[in-house]
Amino acid sequence: MRSKFYILMVLALALSTLYACANTNSIIRKHPEALAGLTACSECHESTLGAMNHQATDFYKRHGSFSGANPQVCAACHQQSFCSDCHSHKEGIKPSEKFFIDAPERNLPHRGDYLTQHRIDGRVNPVACAKCHGRQNNERCKTCHR
Amino acid sequence: MISHHKKSAWSYFNFTRILGAVAAASSLLATPLMAADNSSTGYYSLSGESDTVFRMRTNIEKNNIYPIYEYLHFDLTKTLKDGSSASFYLGGWGRADLADKSTDKYTDGDLQYGYLSYRAAKNNVVINLGRQFVTEGVATERLDGVYLHSDFAGGFGAAVYAGKPVITEPNFKGGNVVYGTRISQSDSQYYTVGLSALKSERENNSRYREEEGLDLWFHPLDQIDMTGRSTYNSITGGWMEHAYALSVIPLDQLRISADFSHVNYYDYFFNMTASSFSFADKLIDPNEKLTTAGVALSYLPIKNLTVIADYKLYNYEIARKAEYFGGKVTYTLPQSFAVGIGLHRMEGKADHLRYTEYRAYASKQIGRANVYVDFINLEYNKRINGVKNSYAVTGAAGYQFNKTLLLGASMEYSRNPEFDSELRGLLKITYAFDTRLGEGGRKNEK
Repeated sequence: MRSKFYILMVLALALSTLYACANTNSIIRKHPEALAGLTACSECHESTLGAMNHQATDFYKRHGSFSGANPQVCAACHQQSFCSDCHSHKEGIKPSEKFFIDAPERNLPHRGDYLTQHRIDGRVNPVACAKCHGRQNNERCKTCHR
Repeated sequence: MISHHKKSAWSYFNFTRILGAVAAASSLLATPLMAADNSSTGYYSLSGESDTVFRMRTNIEKNNIYPIYEYLHFDLTKTLKDGSSASFYLGGWGRADLADKSTDKYTDGDLQYGYLSYRAAKNNVVINLGRQFVTEGVATERLDGVYLHSDFAGGFGAAVYAGKPVITEPNFKGGNVVYGTRISQSDSQYYTVGLSALKSERENNSRYREEEGLDLWFHPLDQIDMTGRSTYNSITGGWMEHAYALSVIPLDQLRISADFSHVNYYDYFFNMTASSFSFADKLIDPNEKLTTAGVALSYLPIKNLTVIADYKLYNYEIARKAEYFGGKVTYTLPQSFAVGIGLHRMEGKADHLRYTEYRAYASKQIGRANVYVDFINLEYNKRINGVKNSYAVTGAAGYQFNKTLLLGASMEYSRNPEFDSELRGLLKITYAFDTRLGEGGRKNEK
């Protein structure tokens, strides 16, 4: 018991020291300029921030890697409502309908007749479906998939 | 058996209970933020958006339905003079069907997120408490709980989270508690390497999910960027997924993107909550392994004009392979004009994986108005329900009355294997606000 206490104390001391020595500036809570549309982060930023160019053809594919590695950067421009538009717990309207005016060039999923297409996409790559519907937003699946 | 009336009442009760809980949580959690004296310690900002959406459509049973939705989200933030901030975020939606009240689903709603957040000016310290969406390595989870993050010396960073998972369980029970961590080491200029783990348990403390992952982000040059992740399932003892993507920009006008992934279905689809993703329903073969490899070339011959060619190979261990390839040309003037045409072909060995996809869209800003038209057509090699072409045409228009108020409407006509002729309408009113209460009570509103 006593040895565990000492281990905890040493860990707490080490973490406190590491924290005190970090002295990094936090990523800003809110981007200083209001941005609209698909933002080209590389126009102003270099390094990994510049790599998050929203106009890049592969940004949609890679945005999960960016947010998983540094969610605070995403939070400077996006509230969680932005994530919830697609990665929702429950949702009534598919994103391509809800944001019909905002940006037709955006990679919004499920455009057109998705009732038929989901059978094809689901067989081609069910992993892509499961990322949003595996454990969330899947109550309507039960209508047919009992 | 419960009558429709009783079900409806119960559903209405749930809906009002959610709204009531949201309102109560808002007032309760916002009070400490409002209590402090802002003239000496910083300023408050309150921003939010309301989206009211009215839809007109026919459901699969050929009944007309007219659901109305209200999406609401806002944040109240107090920014302190040292740069740190305390915020309360809230977002959710409610729906009621104005025409069909015959089922217990004619009203619904959801609290998407609602949490208190503290962000320090130094060391990227973040403390979140409440319903939130956590993305840290292997975790892409919504939970009712706590999230902590901090930087440490030597480029290290750590995040921990724990709570009750917010999931839907239409067919199978999920975990009762979820917790995890991610430790990273990075140089913001060049790279980030992360190790993460997630564990979820059922009510009886039995193992539900145990996932570990390695994530990488390399940016050795401005022209080269690579991200990727490998995820391991400790319960099944196998790799769930390897997914890596590379971008190379050899010229200012040319971008080459490549991606590779490998998924073991048994390890990946272990313990999902919907039968459509379960092995029992036989839609997912646990012995299947999928490997994908893709490449895309994006070229800008002149400013705002983009020409894209892409190819993706889907190779299965059991099913027969498929290839998806095509191209797209877009011309975009930001906030003014956009037009694009695309043509893609899915060429698989199975009949259902042979189709051609066409898309054309255009949008134009005219003063305060915005008009938009979109056409999508899928031409199947083998007819589905006797239909060779499945197409949808959407026309939409919006009008920005001022910085806070936008009114939009859309109409979609489609013909597809499920509907000989389907017409859908949608009206949307967006009201956004952003108010700042500065030192001395100065108020700015946009």
